[in-house]
Amino acid sequence: MIRVSNLHKYYDNQPLFKGINLDIKKGEAVVLIGPSGSGKSTFLRCINGLEYFQEGEIDVDDIELHSINRLEPGKDDMEAIRKIRLKIGMVFQQFNLFPHMTVLENITEVPTRVLNTGKDKAVENATALLKRVNLEEKINSYPDELSGGEQQRVAIARALAMKPETMLFDEPTSSLDPEMVGEVLSVIKDLVEEGMTTLIATHEMGSAREVADRVVVFDKGDIIEIGSPEDIFTNPKAERTKTFLSRVLKQ
Amino acid sequence: MRKFATILLFIAVIAVISSLLGQQAWSSDGIEEIKKRGYLLWGSDAEGGAPYVFPDPKNPSRLIGFEVDLANAIAKELGIEARQLQNAWDSLIPALKRGDFDIAMNGIEITPQREGEVLFSKPYYIYTEQLVVRKNETRIKSIDDLKGKKVGTLSGAVAQDILMNIGGVDVKVYSGQVEPYEDLALGRLDAVLLDLPIAAYYAKPNPKLKYAGNPIGEGFYGIAIKKRDSELKNTIDEILIKLLKTGELEKIYRKWDLWDKTQEKLFQAIKDTGFVGLEESKKAPIYTFFPNLLKGAGITILISVSSMLLAVVLGLILALMKIYGRPPLSTAAAAYIEIYRGTPLLIQLYILYYGLPNIGISLNPITAAFIGLGMNYAAYEAELYRAGINAVPKGQMEAALSLGMPQSLAIKRIVMPQAVRTALPGVTNDFIALFKDSSLVSVIAMVELTKTYSILAATTLRFFELGLITAVLYFAMSYPLSLLAMRLEKKLKGSKR
Repeated sequence: MIRVSNLHKYYDNQPLFKGINLDIKKGEAVVLIGPSGSGKSTFLRCINGLEYFQEGEIDVDDIELHSINRLEPGKDDMEAIRKIRLKIGMVFQQFNLFPHMTVLENITEVPTRVLNTGKDKAVENATALLKRVNLEEKINSYPDELSGGEQQRVAIARALAMKPETMLFDEPTSSLDPEMVGEVLSVIKDLVEEGMTTLIATHEMGSAREVADRVVVFDKGDIIEIGSPEDIFTNPKAERTKTFLSRVLKQ
Repeated sequence: MRKFATILLFIAVIAVISSLLGQQAWSSDGIEEIKKRGYLLWGSDAEGGAPYVFPDPKNPSRLIGFEVDLANAIAKELGIEARQLQNAWDSLIPALKRGDFDIAMNGIEITPQREGEVLFSKPYYIYTEQLVVRKNETRIKSIDDLKGKKVGTLSGAVAQDILMNIGGVDVKVYSGQVEPYEDLALGRLDAVLLDLPIAAYYAKPNPKLKYAGNPIGEGFYGIAIKKRDSELKNTIDEILIKLLKTGELEKIYRKWDLWDKTQEKLFQAIKDTGFVGLEESKKAPIYTFFPNLLKGAGITILISVSSMLLAVVLGLILALMKIYGRPPLSTAAAAYIEIYRGTPLLIQLYILYYGLPNIGISLNPITAAFIGLGMNYAAYEAELYRAGINAVPKGQMEAALSLGMPQSLAIKRIVMPQAVRTALPGVTNDFIALFKDSSLVSVIAMVELTKTYSILAATTLRFFELGLITAVLYFAMSYPLSLLAMRLEKKLKGSKR
């Protein structure tokens, strides 16, 4: 479904990725863990073209994204990126809801303007999605009237309204108050159980263990270990994984 | 997009209207053309005042003066009527050259320098220069006593050259002929040297001032005509000779008390007659000035609103080019903004109006004012939008893109609505500033509110009352905008929506 091969990326000539590879199968839930700055988020953002990379290839359902060794992508690259974005939904750490639109408008805006979904149909979909994330009563609220957990659930509903085949979660619970983490995680868990292909970058080790088919450990722009949650959490092979886990799990 | 199209359409309509309005006041060449048109366009500065061209104290929307009478007499001989076109005195010659009117007649002295630029008719008046001092002045008795003294005169007038040639005189140059005498009476100047007709109207009736010595220097006032219009010059010369022979000219000068010994060299002795004194205008009820001032305010509103619309739209385009464009687009936008912000609006207007004709582009006053103000303010609006756009968190664009929006749609639907919210109070403030800056366009022959005020005030000397009324009119126009800005700001503070 998604194949990342030989990915290289530099920031101001400072290498981040020095040729990493990862295959994600359809319906798989992959959780990315690792210290801050290890490249988890950047990896996700490369997949849907929010970040460019200098070498390697990303293949999403036979749409190929080639290395883009320049500041601005060309027209063909933009076309490929757009196609990929329509297949992949993304949820951000900061929610990024549109503050000037109601919850309903946040969800219907892009389907009506990009997919040409009829207004009635879009509202119907949005209502169903809000029901699914348990926020029907907030349909006419504005983002600043919602709690962080509620905003994040709207953001998930908004991404789902585009009927993506894959969902990317970039630290979806990192800016939430602890009591709200559960409500967001349970929505993500439901999605995984329904068979959505999912990539999650997270610091939340408990949920990583619970939802992941595979866990990928990042460190300093490198994938140092890939394995089942059992293997990684109970019997990590790499030394750096052990250090990282012992530090996180102690807290 | 529809809103944008509406605004563009509006601007197009304004541009067309203004070009039509301007066209009406557009001169063409040749005597036949003028006759066909049915009126002779003559340029002069009503702010220059009595006795040349000035608003009738009894009915300020009507211009009177000996040159008004002369223009009417000339036009009558041509079988058409005369229409006066307002233009600042010191730019009458460039305005004539660029074709704003057929002739310029406003106490323009025939000098070799000016003869290099335009044709002059036969002289229609012999002027002399009169030195004026304060009543209690004892040191200055003639022009020979001026060394080291502060002496006022009119910018570009022959009197200025005379003062400069004496050497050692501290020459203060004014653009109006009332202000030097005001400053002299207030003690800011030691003396004023100006053409006798001016002194006769503005200094003689003033009890604080007196003439010093006899008039000096003789010269001619002539009607300025475009170089290519020699046919028109010949026709006007014939008419002037005829008016002189029939005594018509003499009658006009008698009416305005403009005879003096010097004129006698040309004309028969003239008897003393009464003339319309400035005292009259001091008694005229203040409401008689309202139609003029309101008309000026109307022009101010037309110019401000249309140029603000241009600034808002052009500013938006510039901001988008600068932020989202690639070089050379982004560089061009940045250069535009820096150049327009870094040079005075006045210079930009001068270049637009008097400079462009040199390369064959001649804009009429309304169009030049609209474009000049609009393009200048566009630079400021662009920076406001840019700040607004930069204030929108990066995550907003990323969220929109990740959902599959094309960048252009994301800018329009997600970034701009939020950016405009941030920029709006600043834009409203700029609109208020533009209202007041619109007074600068008087330098390119637009008679808007401030110019109307200075013309009326120069004639009536009622600087105070008329000034208050003018200020109130400006305030009445800008205060509603101020209220709107405050309300917007309050509303935006309360919520992000």
